[in-house]
Amino acid sequence: MEEMVMGTLDLITASPHSSSSSSSSPTTDNNNNNNHPSSSSSISTRRTDLSTDLRLGLSLSPSHYSTPSSREQRSSFDWPPVKSTLRCTLVEKSQISHFVKVYMEGIPIGRKLNLLAHHNYHALVKALANMFRTTILCPNSHQLPLISGNNVHVLTYEDQEGDWMMVGDVPWEMFLTSVKKLKITRADRC
Amino acid sequence: MKKAAYSFPEEVLEHVFSFIVSDKDRSSISLVCKSWYEIERWCRRKVFVGNCYAVSPPILIKRFPELRSVTLKGKPHFADFNLVPEGWGGFACPWIRAMAGAYPWLEEIRLKRMVVSDESLEIIAKSFRNFKVLVLSSCEGFTTEGLAAIAANCRNLRELDLRESEVEDLSGRWLSDFPDSYTSLESLNISCLGNEVNLLALERLVSRCPNLKTLRLNRAVPLDRLPNLLRGAPQLAELGTGAYTSEMRPDVFSNLAEAFAGCKQLKTLSGFWDVLPSYLPAVYPICSQLISLNLSYATVQSPDLIKLVSLCEKLQKLWVLDYIEDDGLEVLAASCKDLRELRVFPSDPFGLEPNVALTEQGLVSVSEGCPKLQSVLYFCRQMSNAALNTIARNRPNLTRFRLCIIEPRSPDYLTLQPLDDGFGAIVEHCKDLRRLSLSGLLTDRVFEYIGTYGKKLEMLSVAFAGDSDLGLHHVLSGCDNLRKLEIRDCPFGDKALLANAAKLETMRSLWMSSCSVSFGACKVLGQKMPRLNVEVMDESGPPDSRPESSPVEKLYVYRTVAGPRLDMPGFVWTMDDDSALRIS
Repeated sequence: MEEMVMGTLDLITASPHSSSSSSSSPTTDNNNNNNHPSSSSSISTRRTDLSTDLRLGLSLSPSHYSTPSSREQRSSFDWPPVKSTLRCTLVEKSQISHFVKVYMEGIPIGRKLNLLAHHNYHALVKALANMFRTTILCPNSHQLPLISGNNVHVLTYEDQEGDWMMVGDVPWEMFLTSVKKLKITRADRC
Repeated sequence: MKKAAYSFPEEVLEHVFSFIVSDKDRSSISLVCKSWYEIERWCRRKVFVGNCYAVSPPILIKRFPELRSVTLKGKPHFADFNLVPEGWGGFACPWIRAMAGAYPWLEEIRLKRMVVSDESLEIIAKSFRNFKVLVLSSCEGFTTEGLAAIAANCRNLRELDLRESEVEDLSGRWLSDFPDSYTSLESLNISCLGNEVNLLALERLVSRCPNLKTLRLNRAVPLDRLPNLLRGAPQLAELGTGAYTSEMRPDVFSNLAEAFAGCKQLKTLSGFWDVLPSYLPAVYPICSQLISLNLSYATVQSPDLIKLVSLCEKLQKLWVLDYIEDDGLEVLAASCKDLRELRVFPSDPFGLEPNVALTEQGLVSVSEGCPKLQSVLYFCRQMSNAALNTIARNRPNLTRFRLCIIEPRSPDYLTLQPLDDGFGAIVEHCKDLRRLSLSGLLTDRVFEYIGTYGKKLEMLSVAFAGDSDLGLHHVLSGCDNLRKLEIRDCPFGDKALLANAAKLETMRSLWMSSCSVSFGACKVLGQKMPRLNVEVMDESGPPDSRPESSPVEKLYVYRTVAGPRLDMPGFVWTMDDDSALRIS
């Protein structure tokens, strides 16, 4: 779509991964871990003026403008074309830990959890269910909350834009870069 | 016509046909005449279905009543990169149910990118008495409960390979369900499992199966348990380690080194999660016998990689992270003269700036030093036409060339020109090129080259490239052997697609996402071509709620003899020939 084409311009001039760096907690060390000592001097990063070149590649059909943030997010989970198993391993390696706060509805004191200790949603939900001693419905499971009791919860998270979302809709790696905090809410409230 | 003079008895023909193994040849045989078609279909034992929606279970079973081995592929390749939404399809169940009824003597099932349920695994476990091989490659939808059913029931199982599948790992207990009397395992790949398996059960299984040749462990198998496993299977040819880290203890190291040295037949190594560099020397004793090394998860630096690779003089296949850097690739080029395949993956795919000293030079070195290099997958951050030209001239024997310059639309970093000429040189010189992936700044010209020279090209992947429909037209009209075309984020639209509609029937499939194909054109294509399934994917709502000229989000077109599929989720619409939108 044309909006994607225009959006790429923003991608190249701005940092597309500001979302990932701002979500990291003080203990993460995004770009320093794996730098080879000799890397900086021998690489030429010629990022002079790409706008001419971009215009060459752009379609001449009418364009729609997408918001830069939606384009940035998209590119980080389907580009570059790296399979999710490798992607997960690399994300982990570049961030040793990623602690987020977790609150459960009705309990004023929260907990802290290292997201990177888990490899997928299933593991995360299991860990939280244990931590808070409750039943948490697995994301994407087809169980409907038939039990309207107090002890069935769902997991939600606050993303970079401050919105509260259901956990489980986006790929795990994308979730890792956009989650700010977690909340366990009663299933019958959603 | 003197029939007798021209015909052999059926049994003789059958015997002759039994020597013909390739699918293409079998297909050719079946086209000679009606009686050959009949004889061939009764004695066909193995079938490969590249797109599970191109044919249906009843059609398959009707034609080939005596199959022993079936391979099915489901989702399009771009599903690997999160471009195919969940629920799209590729369900194995209808196939497995049908085969359970029709092929009681089925021995092998291989599935790729399909959704497999525990129920399906249970059916497999209970329906095929002589079941030997189960390969689930990049599949999903099942849990360890399904695996337990396989373990408990398949007495003759030789191969259980779950490569890269997404398994809901409920417990590691399933491995214990292999009965003590079960000893026929030859290949086990559980590398994708998240949790610990029962290690004692694993050790016992490994040591009681004398024909075990392939063992790929998951990350959760600790390094200090590896020596025991290896000692239980000294005949192992292929090993995938678990996490390659442990507290640094000399006894653990020497135990490991001794165990490795005892595996005289070990030729393939993989795994290597969480590598502690000081443990790498444990494999040095066997490096000289290795032909394949997969270090895609080994996040160690260049010097450690160089030491390892320089000892592997027989290496034919190397998968490695770009930590190896240009220097490491130069050493590879000098040490591994038998190299056939190289894959270099990005260690920091989302970073803007390079984190390692890996450039086009590394690939150039390997192309110079490795005369047998045929297959390349290379992620990097800069490329030049000059380098591509050199690579093409050095290695006209390339059959697979996939280059991913991480930043979309990157030009030649030296001249700031498009990389058309460089890729043009690749297709021109590498006359046997079957697979090509493009990246970088590319105009319609590169597609002109591809259409002109890419006569043997079977699969082409394109992203963020081209200027107009002409680009797509060049490929569709020029590439005689094209089977799979996948395109994303390119300004290709209706004209080229409709002008080349007939071509699409000669291909397995076409994927186009974030391009400029209008909904109206998709409808026309669907109406014009009854033997194609034209599927439009749109997660924002029914395409007919927008003007016909609106571009569709994703388009997947494939040839089929089975008609439109009936299992589409809510975001997929088929453009079929009665021009009614069928919304499921």
